[in-house]
Amino acid sequence: MNIISLASRNVRRNWQRSLVTTLAMAFASTIIIFYGALMEGMVRGSEHNAVAMSSGDIQIHAKDYRDDPDLYKRIIEPDLLTHKIRDAGFRAAARIYGFGLMATDSSSSGVQLRGLDLQHEQEVSEIDQHLMSGTWLRNDDSHGVVIGKKLARQLGVALGDELTFIGQTADGYMANDIFKVRGILKAVSTAIDSAGVFMPEESLRELLTLPEGAHEIVVIRDDPTVDLKVATQEVAALAPAYEVLNWQQLMPVIARFLETANVQTLIMMIFTYIAVASVVLNAMLMSVFERIHEFGVMKAIGVRPWQLVRLIYAETILQTCIASLFSLGAGWLIASHYQKHGMDMSALAGDISFAGIAMDPIWYAYITPEVLITPILFLFILAALAVIYPAIKVALIRPLDAIHYQ
Amino acid sequence: MTDQNNKHDTHSPLNAAVQHPIVRLSDVCKTYEQGKVRVNAVHDVSLDIQHGDFAALCGPSGSGKTSLLNLIGGLDVSSSGTVIVDGIDLATIDGSELSEVRKNRIGFVFQSYNLIPVMTAYENAAFVLNLQGVDETECRDRVMATLKAVGLEGLEKRRPDEMSGGQQQRVAIARAIVTEPAIVLADEPTANVDSHTAESLLDLMEQLNRQQGVTFLFSTHDQHVMDRARRIIQMHDGKVASDHAQAG
Repeated sequence: MNIISLASRNVRRNWQRSLVTTLAMAFASTIIIFYGALMEGMVRGSEHNAVAMSSGDIQIHAKDYRDDPDLYKRIIEPDLLTHKIRDAGFRAAARIYGFGLMATDSSSSGVQLRGLDLQHEQEVSEIDQHLMSGTWLRNDDSHGVVIGKKLARQLGVALGDELTFIGQTADGYMANDIFKVRGILKAVSTAIDSAGVFMPEESLRELLTLPEGAHEIVVIRDDPTVDLKVATQEVAALAPAYEVLNWQQLMPVIARFLETANVQTLIMMIFTYIAVASVVLNAMLMSVFERIHEFGVMKAIGVRPWQLVRLIYAETILQTCIASLFSLGAGWLIASHYQKHGMDMSALAGDISFAGIAMDPIWYAYITPEVLITPILFLFILAALAVIYPAIKVALIRPLDAIHYQ
Repeated sequence: MTDQNNKHDTHSPLNAAVQHPIVRLSDVCKTYEQGKVRVNAVHDVSLDIQHGDFAALCGPSGSGKTSLLNLIGGLDVSSSGTVIVDGIDLATIDGSELSEVRKNRIGFVFQSYNLIPVMTAYENAAFVLNLQGVDETECRDRVMATLKAVGLEGLEKRRPDEMSGGQQQRVAIARAIVTEPAIVLADEPTANVDSHTAESLLDLMEQLNRQQGVTFLFSTHDQHVMDRARRIIQMHDGKVASDHAQAG
């Protein structure tokens, strides 16, 4: 009779206890798989919001522009630079920015105007697909704008409503014009939501009397597997006169948070599994002490201590395998559901943002092989650790003591 | 080895021509500490068990029968003296080697059967053969033959809880003899069964002893069982009070 067969019968011998132990392990792993998938979804969603909606992988600015966003601190001949960057295997688009006051009949708010090169912007950003309502900008609609959702709420405007801009041109005169709201964005970032006004580059250039230059060039890696730091160095080499920073340098808090998300999952997993370990340890101890007499007899007739250790481990691993299969199935099913449909957190938390980056109120899970495999691996490690004591106990007990154990 | 055996030939009251005792005890003592009290469970015992013996260790409770069986079976270690089983001095080997001795040279029959409850009669009987690594075909042949010999033909697939006490003890005997050990040690093998079953178990052990030459050493305080033994080793206060042959 092989050890697996014997272990299987021993597991079934007290099936209620085995069931409780297995379910405890399965439940914990399922929770961890689901939690891991949610965290992965949040990380990917946040990174997506941070990179694809606004910052891009890499940004180029005139030196000191970020500290003092002056209209005159510009990138000279941006078309030339973007061509060079594209030739080097990247996608790039130039942007210009302006500041002023946007007003309606009853309200006004400070805004940041964002003039986009519509043709190339779509190559570096997905913001045109992030509309809550309305349509994206068109080059032939020079007075159409898309605004952030909080700004729309603050100004009390809806699609088709007019907004009046008051600001200053590059040559020091007053700039003012009337624009129509063509679209309202979903949550992107605090800055965009509450002050972002998007319009075609040419419209903004004309409004601000800014004949040339750009305030920002956004760069995206054509191949996302290329290391971000390496890509940043390559772009920096192409634009030595300017400040070149990647999104992790531009948003260090977000980058750090996303980097440590895996650690958070790990900590959650450790705490959950410690609780489960006590269940496994207790169950295996009970199982061992219940059979101590039997182990004594086995030792008396020639079973070696390490063979009993193997038996105890086989019983534990058998239960862990069953728990793993169950939790893989259940965890995958639950995570898949939330990967497809998401978890609507808006009722609980409204607009969620972290370090200025808006998070989608629909929280989507995301399944990766690591999300499924890591909790299972840890479960096996935990189970193996939890039965060390019972296994040693069995290995060391003298057969005579075990036979007379009451 | 031969010299040593000759030196102790006088220990056995049985056939003095037998040169190689299966068990040789020389001045064996076993002392337990019970709190501050020292208990001499076995005191200065010298004894040989020969091939083919059908011997009973007799005596009242506390006389040292079980302690002596435990020492011979390598389940306990003597405080002094030597215990030699099948030529091996148990004091000179480590725990792992002791396991090998128990597995290969000694068969155990316990008072309360001590079968593994999740295994069938066949699997219980085959358990030690599996530990020895005997191949499946040979294992099957030997186990089936042994189960037939102990009268359990047809009950191979029954688990302990599906068998009577007598049947369980027969499985235990089958488990003990299937490996063809040098000696079978049986601790009060009939204590937990009714007199009719006890009689049949004694018939079985006697038959195995006479027909297959299995050496039995069993402890008992049942006079009826003593009457069936061909050698009586009487224990009293941890000492061998008498050792004599009798007609079985």
